Amino acid sequence: MQTPETTLAQELPDSSTTDQSGAVSVVGPPRVNPIVSFLVKPAATAILAVMVVFIYFSLTTTGFDSAAGIANWLDPAATLGTVCAMFALLMISGNIDLSSGVAIGTTGVVMGLLATQAHWPVPLAMLGALVVALAIGLTNGLAVVKTGLHSFIVTLAMFFALQGLNVGITILVNKPPDTGGPVPATALVVAGIRDAPGYALPQLILGSSIPIAGAQFQISIVWWILLTLLASWVLLRTKYGNWIQCIGGNTPAARATGIPVGRTKVALFVGTSLAAWLVGMETALRLGSAQPSEGFGLELQFIIASVVGGCLLFGGHGSVVGAALGAVTFGMVSLGITYAKWPGEIYYLFLGVMLFVAVLANTVVRRRLMRGV
Amino acid sequence: MAVVEQTASADHPPDGIGELDQVTVVESERVSPLVRLLLKPAATALMAAVVVFVFFSLAGSAFGTLAGIANWLAPSAEIGTVAACVALLMIGGEFDLSAGIAIGTTGVTMALLATHFHWPVPAAMLGALVVAVVIGLTNGTLVVTTGLPSFIVTLAMFFSLQGLNVGVSTWLSGNVVVFGVNNAAGFAIPHTLFGSTISIGSAQLQISVLWWIVVTLVASWILLRTRYGNWIQCIGGNVLAARATGIPIGRTKIALFIATSCAAWLVGMETALRLGSAQANEGLGLELQFVVAAVVGGCLLFGGHGSIIGTALGALVFGMIQLGITYARWPAQMYLLFLGIMLFLAVLTNTLVRRRLLRGT
Repeated sequence: MQTPETTLAQELPDSSTTDQSGAVSVVGPPRVNPIVSFLVKPAATAILAVMVVFIYFSLTTTGFDSAAGIANWLDPAATLGTVCAMFALLMISGNIDLSSGVAIGTTGVVMGLLATQAHWPVPLAMLGALVVALAIGLTNGLAVVKTGLHSFIVTLAMFFALQGLNVGITILVNKPPDTGGPVPATALVVAGIRDAPGYALPQLILGSSIPIAGAQFQISIVWWILLTLLASWVLLRTKYGNWIQCIGGNTPAARATGIPVGRTKVALFVGTSLAAWLVGMETALRLGSAQPSEGFGLELQFIIASVVGGCLLFGGHGSVVGAALGAVTFGMVSLGITYAKWPGEIYYLFLGVMLFVAVLANTVVRRRLMRGV
Repeated sequence: MAVVEQTASADHPPDGIGELDQVTVVESERVSPLVRLLLKPAATALMAAVVVFVFFSLAGSAFGTLAGIANWLAPSAEIGTVAACVALLMIGGEFDLSAGIAIGTTGVTMALLATHFHWPVPAAMLGALVVAVVIGLTNGTLVVTTGLPSFIVTLAMFFSLQGLNVGVSTWLSGNVVVFGVNNAAGFAIPHTLFGSTISIGSAQLQISVLWWIVVTLVASWILLRTRYGNWIQCIGGNVLAARATGIPIGRTKIALFIATSCAAWLVGMETALRLGSAQANEGLGLELQFVVAAVVGGCLLFGGHGSIIGTALGALVFGMIQLGITYARWPAQMYLLFLGIMLFLAVLTNTLVRRRLLRGT
């Protein structure tokens, strides 16, 4: 517990009023070696990972560091990173949301069905999906707060429920002919959003791409950066950020100081669902169709990106910018593997090794460094 | 355990739940039998199994027949065999997210050894067993030596194996499915032992169901009747007390991780021998269903308390729902919706009802 407290104090000089013992290390002369003080930052591992991965693929493949290459790997990074910005805040508060991946598919399918089956204009259908996202976040948050069950269990239940609903409802609406065999692929997609009324403007805002230096950068990258900056500002510069860290670090203390623990947690779950909604809209508007399986499996990658970015698994400490860098690392690797012509599944092997090394570096190395300080 | 008892008797007004548990056991004559049944960790799973069975028997005509029962026991056995060991691991306070994909890893290893390297099938199975032991040993040793949460360590193993399964099988056989195990030397006897079916009347019961029962009984016996079971519960309930009483924590945990991988190996062998081929993605996604079965069966998420029989009932419920959905002619994926609702209700009942009942006694 010594470690996160001291690191926090170094990161947040303005919080020194709350922690006298931590303030000493901030106020005192810079006796700490600058390399050590960098390595102790939560985002340090992620920064190193980004640099190593970028240099490696730039040297060994052609086109990875070109404008087109960068635009390519920033695209999956934005998908991961947009949800990760909120997911990191949630993790810092000591909770996780395993339903945040499939919620991308849920919101996309809801929007697609409202636009193509109920013939709502696309902006209205997006609002309908937003309501669903709010309901998912509220349900998760209230269930965690009211029952006192661990968020792992509550959101795992939501994960299964949404996964079943996504595919089940899509099939029920598409009504494929009962051949007795497997469901045809055409029945597992909500198509035709492109032809719905009012598609053009939302597509421009959320699903278009911007030409820069001859490469097509997805507009989702802009949304990702905006959301990361917003979440990081909330964490580092507002009282809500202090609340979040306090809840994750020591819930009884947070309750004792009068922090509205329940409301803050519910808000964080809702924030995570809304981020999933944003990604769901971006994907559905870009492709003009929605897949019920969209986002499935990403929930674990959100955890990894956040943990690589310096978030502790059980809360109290972490960095939103670090989580964004974690997302960049995974975007780079998923595309770099294609550039290097390796089999795509090696991505998962890398993900596993990276997770282990990063967590080890984050916890063990930092523990050792702090002892030296 | 000795320490807990002593403190409970020393300062007499006990306030922890674990100590209250002991009080209810000691003063059993004052507690009504219904409350005592509900307090058992397996109670929720038992009720769930009865409710689900009655529901689908009324909804789908073939569900309650002998053939129907044999049908839904097969997926139950797949989940239940590994879940029995996952439950022990969870009672010991650890997770194994790599237990699902390890089914694919062992299957692919066996199939590649048998078809690509032309080992006889029994030798190939031993080779796969070595791989399973290595996976469990790696998980356990890393958790024990680094002190990282097992959630992280086994998540890393999960991703690594997922990548390796597909990578290695495409590299050696050019496909994500390794075919031809049924044409390899020495296929017949292992197939009879692990992959055959038994005719009972008109129903075809898979032999994996018998293995599931054996694994469940052994695991339950270990938990309830041996000192290792006490060790596991003590480690999961209170590591410091376990260390103070001299329990070999590290060795016990590593053994539990190895047991879990070996259970995954058993299911991997059953599947590969039944189908005559091995899929790289076999078992992917099951890791969370094992956890759910264990939790529905009364295991606490962070250890110290649970039931192997309850876990088996949890697995039974999932097999029933999975097949029941098909019998009721709903889209198969609705299974997952039921799984989610079931999980939430079961955990809620397990914790809230037990909390309230304990307060009442």
